[in-house]
Amino acid sequence: MSLSDSGKKQAGLLDRLTETTLRRIAGRSSRRSVLTRLGGAVAAVPAFMLLPVSRAGATTKAAGAEAAKPKAKTPFGAKAQAKNDLACDYWRYCAIDGNLCTSCGGGVHTCPPGTAPSPTSWIGSCYNPQDGNSYMIAYRDCCGQDSCNEVTCLNTDGDQPSYRPMANNDIIWCFGTGTSEMYNCSTAAIVGKIS
Amino acid sequence: MGLSSLLAGGIALLALPAFAGAAEPILQTEQSDVATLPAWGPHTILVVDAVYTHNKDGRAYVVDADKGKLLGMVQAAYNANVALAPDASRFFVAETTWARGNRGERNDLLVEYNANTLGITADEKLPSRALVTPKRNNLGLSADVSRAYVYQMSPSNAVEVVDTKTHTVTQTVDIPGCALVYPWGNDGFSSLCADGTLANVHLEADGKPAMTHSPAFFEPDHDGIFEQSPSSSKDGKAYFISYSGLVYETQLGAQAVVSKPWSLQEGAGLKAAPAADKPLEVTWRPGGWQMSALHKSDHTLYVLMHRGTFWTHKEAGTEVWVYDTTTHKRLRRMPLTKASTMVGVTQDANPLMFTADEGTGGFIISDARTGKVLRVMKALGTSLIFTAAPGE
Repeated sequence: MSLSDSGKKQAGLLDRLTETTLRRIAGRSSRRSVLTRLGGAVAAVPAFMLLPVSRAGATTKAAGAEAAKPKAKTPFGAKAQAKNDLACDYWRYCAIDGNLCTSCGGGVHTCPPGTAPSPTSWIGSCYNPQDGNSYMIAYRDCCGQDSCNEVTCLNTDGDQPSYRPMANNDIIWCFGTGTSEMYNCSTAAIVGKIS
Repeated sequence: MGLSSLLAGGIALLALPAFAGAAEPILQTEQSDVATLPAWGPHTILVVDAVYTHNKDGRAYVVDADKGKLLGMVQAAYNANVALAPDASRFFVAETTWARGNRGERNDLLVEYNANTLGITADEKLPSRALVTPKRNNLGLSADVSRAYVYQMSPSNAVEVVDTKTHTVTQTVDIPGCALVYPWGNDGFSSLCADGTLANVHLEADGKPAMTHSPAFFEPDHDGIFEQSPSSSKDGKAYFISYSGLVYETQLGAQAVVSKPWSLQEGAGLKAAPAADKPLEVTWRPGGWQMSALHKSDHTLYVLMHRGTFWTHKEAGTEVWVYDTTTHKRLRRMPLTKASTMVGVTQDANPLMFTADEGTGGFIISDARTGKVLRVMKALGTSLIFTAAPGE
């Protein structure tokens, strides 16, 4: 997709905000309190993500086409489906890397019994072919049991390296779960609508 | 057969044990002992197996690549990292365990192994360690192996500097907004940062860190740099490869210098590949996990390539393209019999190339000069993610 200039600026602002915030809390806080605050920051994500932020994986509205729905402009979005959340091409899984909790005794935003959801996550923006909208998706890991391997996916729309942690799908997002940081599976919760 | 024949045969059978005993000496009793490895050659390597399906059971194998023979193995638990000393006298494993399997006290450990006996020579508890699908650059060694650098994310970003003589963490260097370690010389490392810069950390004579940042040279959300980009601590040369296929040759150091990038596609006679602004264009692109390897003395860069759109940066390579790092031209392309997410090369004059078959856990050993498959170790492991060879 093509990032508009304003989109780029907004994306840049978000990154700077995130980085500045992380730098500030990292610089001033003990590690335990960093965890607490980062958890709080991520808990605030739903409201934050309703801002008109355009990211690399997001789609843009056609200029002047008020009623027109955006089209998928990413490789994954172009072939995604909206019926089967047990399959890797389910639209919400555009940036998921790991085991689907839907296949492990949990659901699309539900951890399997015996595990605990991570309060932190990485974020993708995925196109839903059913309603033509794009949504921010929080890929929260479920933690405390070893890997569930029923359905394993590796989707990389908008996936960035670990120096962009909020957009990276390699990190074990099991900080502050109260369990061990052992990774079981990944959920894909909607946390906001982009367009 | 008549009765007399049967009787004769019976007598012959009765006589057999005495006869056989005369020919075969009675086997001697044995003592159990333990093998040591033969001396490491340039083709003795470590192969890291993350065992994604049960990560806590990760391991590293010692392999004789000339024979395709497994020589030994050690534990490398839960998204572990492995780094081999250039002289292959020892290697390090950074790993994580919990006291009661999936629960109890967490132990982040840096284990040092004698490379000949596979005996543990140090087993040090770390303050923390990044738990992330393992990349070579989550753990680095200084050129003289006096220091090990362990990347941690807890979730703030830092690098633990370990003195390998005293086996103690001497510094925890905060690298806010940055990740990974690309060591240079004996007293420094660089990290890639979210703002498109390099953070360069020089450890002063008193051990205190001093950090500089290079000017921003890439946009992570437009065209990110592969974390597995190869580098060499000895001369501080790094080849940072972007998702689209730009190569930023960099002289690492306290004031790292990033050169103007060249294109993998242009070096192969194609047009440069677009980045996130034209994500649907299908062309040859770099990708995989350990997607590149460097042969230092040959000045050659090996890159796993596949045909795909942008955002296919983790797709397995169907070919390996080899570049001259001085001319930026492709020297050869080598189609793979099995698409691979990892590539490694040995550093000698007759180099071997390593790839893996994700489906079977097979390990494929090829002539790095021709791509010809020399031998396959079927089902060596489960999730083979990278190799480490002497002299890297």
